[in-house]
Amino acid sequence: MSVETVVTEDDLAEMVEQVWASYLDPEGVSPLIPTADADQPTEVHSTVSITGTWHGHLVYASSMQAARKAAGAFLAMELDEVGQEDISDVLGELANIVGGNVKAMLPAGCFLSLPTVVLAPQTASYYPAAERISGLWGVWDGEPISISMWQSTKTGDNA
Amino acid sequence: MVIDDSRAMRMILKRIVAKLNFEAVEAGDGQEALDLLSTMTEVPELALIDWNMPNMNGLEFVTKVRAEPRLREMTLVMVTTESEQSQIVRALAAGAHEYVIKPFTEGAMIEKLALLGLVPTGANS
Amino acid sequence: MTLSQADFEFVSQLVKREAAIVLAPGKEYLVEARLIPVARQVGAASVAEFIGNLQRKPNSADQRRIVDALTTNETSWFRDREPFTALTDVVLPELVKSRGSARQLRLWSAASSSGQEAYSLAITLQEALPAGWNYEIMGSDISTEMVKRAEAAEYSQVEVNRGLPAAQLVQYFERVGAHWRIAPHLRRNVTFKHMNLVAPLPPMQPFDVIFLRNVLIYFDVATKKSVLRNVARLLRPDGWLFLGAAETTIGIDDNYERVAAGRTSAYRVRSAVPAGAVRKG
Repeated sequence: MSVETVVTEDDLAEMVEQVWASYLDPEGVSPLIPTADADQPTEVHSTVSITGTWHGHLVYASSMQAARKAAGAFLAMELDEVGQEDISDVLGELANIVGGNVKAMLPAGCFLSLPTVVLAPQTASYYPAAERISGLWGVWDGEPISISMWQSTKTGDNA
Repeated sequence: MVIDDSRAMRMILKRIVAKLNFEAVEAGDGQEALDLLSTMTEVPELALIDWNMPNMNGLEFVTKVRAEPRLREMTLVMVTTESEQSQIVRALAAGAHEYVIKPFTEGAMIEKLALLGLVPTGANS
Repeated sequence: MTLSQADFEFVSQLVKREAAIVLAPGKEYLVEARLIPVARQVGAASVAEFIGNLQRKPNSADQRRIVDALTTNETSWFRDREPFTALTDVVLPELVKSRGSARQLRLWSAASSSGQEAYSLAITLQEALPAGWNYEIMGSDISTEMVKRAEAAEYSQVEVNRGLPAAQLVQYFERVGAHWRIAPHLRRNVTFKHMNLVAPLPPMQPFDVIFLRNVLIYFDVATKKSVLRNVARLLRPDGWLFLGAAETTIGIDDNYERVAAGRTSAYRVRSAVPAGAVRKG
């Protein structure tokens, strides 16, 4: 079974909307607006890996400012109080939440890793033998954010 | 008691239960929570428990708590991104009283706690 | 087309006053997007016209519609809880006694929105009715979009978190991709119809229980009277009407009598239920 038909961009968009409604924009006044701009720059990212009957990664990436704002919203802190540790923690949890929901849409028997956070552009990470299969790009209050799914190709003999 | 390896999530949960006049202690994984519980003279009324955590995950924690007579009165609520039907069934079978899927809104969390009789009537919107 | 600054200011002040929500400047597009369906619903040609009418002739119903549209209020399962408890503890045991030969109940969830109330009723009956009983539940809503959504019976992760016990989520729903769908054995007892409660109602078989909650608050007194009169005709003589916690028939329609039902109140058509103690047979 190909995963493209299992987790679509619409599905990702809906999950993102729910994360925003729950934590980042509970009043519904500052949504993530899709841009479809695959080249928008990122400064930080977090990854959760999925293993088992399906192999791949879910990556959450954004600008530093968007990450700082997300941390401020989660931790109820002023933006100038937000430190690096706060940003790491919140980025990790965002990848974890979206990743867990993605996992539930994959074939049964998958496991979710703990998140890894890298305070560097997404291009700093390389996912060996994995290709991007789905993704979402948008701006939140003018700041770039992306969520993407990567599928490992080497274990793809059941496709 | 709030048990989650994410400090951000612990903060959110603490903010919500504070509105219901709960004072919360925090633990970063199941083992840390058990260690903390063993030092406490008064058992917490409620534990909000993540599933995926290092050292000891939330499901193991629930199983261990259920086997411990001293902790029998604790209400156990899983708060996790694990959202397959089969996972919810596993957690309930292990002895969790309720299950909240991440992401959740503050209102949804309070409604779940109300189901467990942990919200004074009138405090819920 | 974007909202004018003055219209945005008017809406901002309204939601700040009524719901303590602050709409930051720059959210005009969002206010507009949320109010388009509301404007359509009340028959205005545009959001600007809707707001213009309201400014000229203030009315609390339209103000409430705006606040609701801007406060992202998802409907909860078993909303307010007490009416469902009353159904299980008081209403159903009595109906089971009096409908022993037919073994069939009909319930109406009026203004059913996205369907949570109708399906919550179905879960309640599924668990409380003795074996061999049947039930049908009709949901109705003024919005055809909502009728479609309720029929689809699919809910997001966030929606199934709201007030639904996890044990019932796994028992009465099935996971479909990113969503949860009501299981077929429940769905086949529930139908939805497009209906405007203010217009003359289509002919229907009467109901044993009607949930008409948080609907009357949107209407003026004359409309409340006419809705309650229409509903009374569709309620079986010994049936039960549940209103929202902030609603009552008192002072609006004397044909109804308020009766205690568990820890809440319900309404019954007066002539049918003699006052005084209930005799046990």
